Amino acid sequence: MIDFVAVEQGLALLFTNFSPWLVVVPGIVIGLIFGATPGLQISMAMAIFLPMTLYMDFVQAMLFLTAIFTGGSFGSGIPAILMNIPGTSSAIATAFDGYPMARQGRHNQALGVALVSSVIGTLMGYVILLVMIQPLSLMVLKLGPAEMFAVILWGMTLIASLKGEQVLKGLMAGFVGLLIGTIGFNELGMARGTMGQTYLLDGVPVIPAMMGMFAASELFKLANKEFIVESKASRKVKLSEIFQGFKLALSYPWVMIRGGLIGVFVGAVPGVGSSVSNLLSYVETQRRDKDPDSFGKGNPKGVVASESANSTSEAGSMATLLALGIPGGGATAVMLAAFAMHNITGGPQFIRQQTDVVYAIIFANFAQVFLLLIIGLLFIPLLANIIKVPMRYLIPSVLVLAVMGSFGLTGNMTGPVTVLVFAVVGWLFRHYGYSVPAAVIGMLLGAMAEKSLLHSYQISGGDLSYMLERPVTLIILALLLVSLFGKRLLGLYKRSKPSVTPE
Amino acid sequence: MSVNKRDYGDLLVLMALVGFTLWYLLDAIRVSSSVQNLLLILPLSIVVLVIAALEVGLRLKRGTLLIREESEGEALHRTLPVVGLFAAYVLSLETLGFDVATVLFIAAFLVMKGERHWPLLGGYSLAFGFGVAFFFAQMLPYPMHMLILPG
Repeated sequence: MIDFVAVEQGLALLFTNFSPWLVVVPGIVIGLIFGATPGLQISMAMAIFLPMTLYMDFVQAMLFLTAIFTGGSFGSGIPAILMNIPGTSSAIATAFDGYPMARQGRHNQALGVALVSSVIGTLMGYVILLVMIQPLSLMVLKLGPAEMFAVILWGMTLIASLKGEQVLKGLMAGFVGLLIGTIGFNELGMARGTMGQTYLLDGVPVIPAMMGMFAASELFKLANKEFIVESKASRKVKLSEIFQGFKLALSYPWVMIRGGLIGVFVGAVPGVGSSVSNLLSYVETQRRDKDPDSFGKGNPKGVVASESANSTSEAGSMATLLALGIPGGGATAVMLAAFAMHNITGGPQFIRQQTDVVYAIIFANFAQVFLLLIIGLLFIPLLANIIKVPMRYLIPSVLVLAVMGSFGLTGNMTGPVTVLVFAVVGWLFRHYGYSVPAAVIGMLLGAMAEKSLLHSYQISGGDLSYMLERPVTLIILALLLVSLFGKRLLGLYKRSKPSVTPE
Repeated sequence: MSVNKRDYGDLLVLMALVGFTLWYLLDAIRVSSSVQNLLLILPLSIVVLVIAALEVGLRLKRGTLLIREESEGEALHRTLPVVGLFAAYVLSLETLGFDVATVLFIAAFLVMKGERHWPLLGGYSLAFGFGVAFFFAQMLPYPMHMLILPG
């Protein structure tokens, strides 16, 4: 599986000259800043700094871009924990338990847990990539649109049914979210639900909608509080507690490994990536836990599950990019542009002919994770001070950042107006017990679900029973049914079984 | 302590979701009634409507259709002005510019939430508002409407 001659050449590429390393630290810092600023995406950072890579050689350019990617993956978890604003969609699940931890005054621990999970996740992802890049690329090719649709539906249902008592409301929020996600042009060029607005032809801008539903609506709710963390003693930034977070994260190795495996395989599926993997990993961890009700209330396992999965997704999406030349998401799409700028085409030929470069990128990422640990540790105390800020200063400041960030994403007033509309929707949803995460994930996946279903329909020649002839699709659909009705069926079975008492 | 309150809002939100679903389905059918266009939208809309009917049915059965437990720590009359102020901020961006609108929004919010240390209030509103507007205007590749600062 590993070509050792190419490994040696790859190491030579990295260590005969110091210049490739000069760009790594600035890359991680840029990634951290962009990831930690709500509204500034990792892909945006990479796109802004892409022209600089013209002056670098290919390996150096890839090191710079992957450093931004690595820094951004962790960075996006920081506002998710401290402000309940996932910096990017890959940190949505981090907010589920990270933010409750912060509100309990355990922000230092939560950040420590997130940093270690990110570092180990990235490391694990690249180790898997090193060993598996060739078989993984073959496996990804075998996943068709029917499987993608089933994965989306499964993930969606899992998220929607997270709130045990309000399953119906959760499902409804998720499915309405899916419908909103299909607004605008479909693949056949038909525009639905646009109300004649040209701004909506490309669909509802999802990231601004996400900012409105997650962040602004939560801030409205907190408008009457003095501080995020009410107790003064709990607002301190302590390095010792951050290290406690390290230990805490390491005490859940299976959560981390499971998150890592989900991350690398889901991350390798083009278009799905870290936005879904963090949620799947979170839900799977909650489902398997002895105390599932503690999730969403500050259980550190939730943060470990999400951060380990979104960090390994980086390696997964790199696998698809390197092996197939297909970007898994926005960030790898920018990397593909960097490939083109250096006259390089990703794909099976690239792996065969430039194996040394592939290994150089992988090994450089091993080093990057240790640098992330050091730089992350330096940054956390700076960023964690945010909870010392009174809410009357924090709320308008974060709202302003969300509005400006959303303008940055759309380039016009659609972004800020979307934030406003979905802030009100999110606030109403929270107030009346509808699942906000389910609605957001629905919006995120709506267009993708419709595209996958349409492709399945086209491949099958109009006979959708084709989906039921695919074993992987069937397995995923069976898992969906089990996750929806499993507990209830088990309960019915237990009740119907006559109890046996020892004589 | 949670208090049971009579609340029509819950029912209104449910009706709004049903209304949106029906409107969107009809709009999609108006655009094209082909299978390809309605492949996901039609079954999904039906599922949403069935779930809504189930929710209403279950709550009628339990007698909790218009009853809601008041959420802890959130007083509606104190939250609504914040929502209104935010709406005014977003809608004034094109008129007042990102710079001035932001400064005014932050200052108004601080006054609303009881900040009476005027130098701090003015200083923070000006520094943060102008600082962030300037940063984004410089970072973004699109023109941002500004009243005072360069856009």
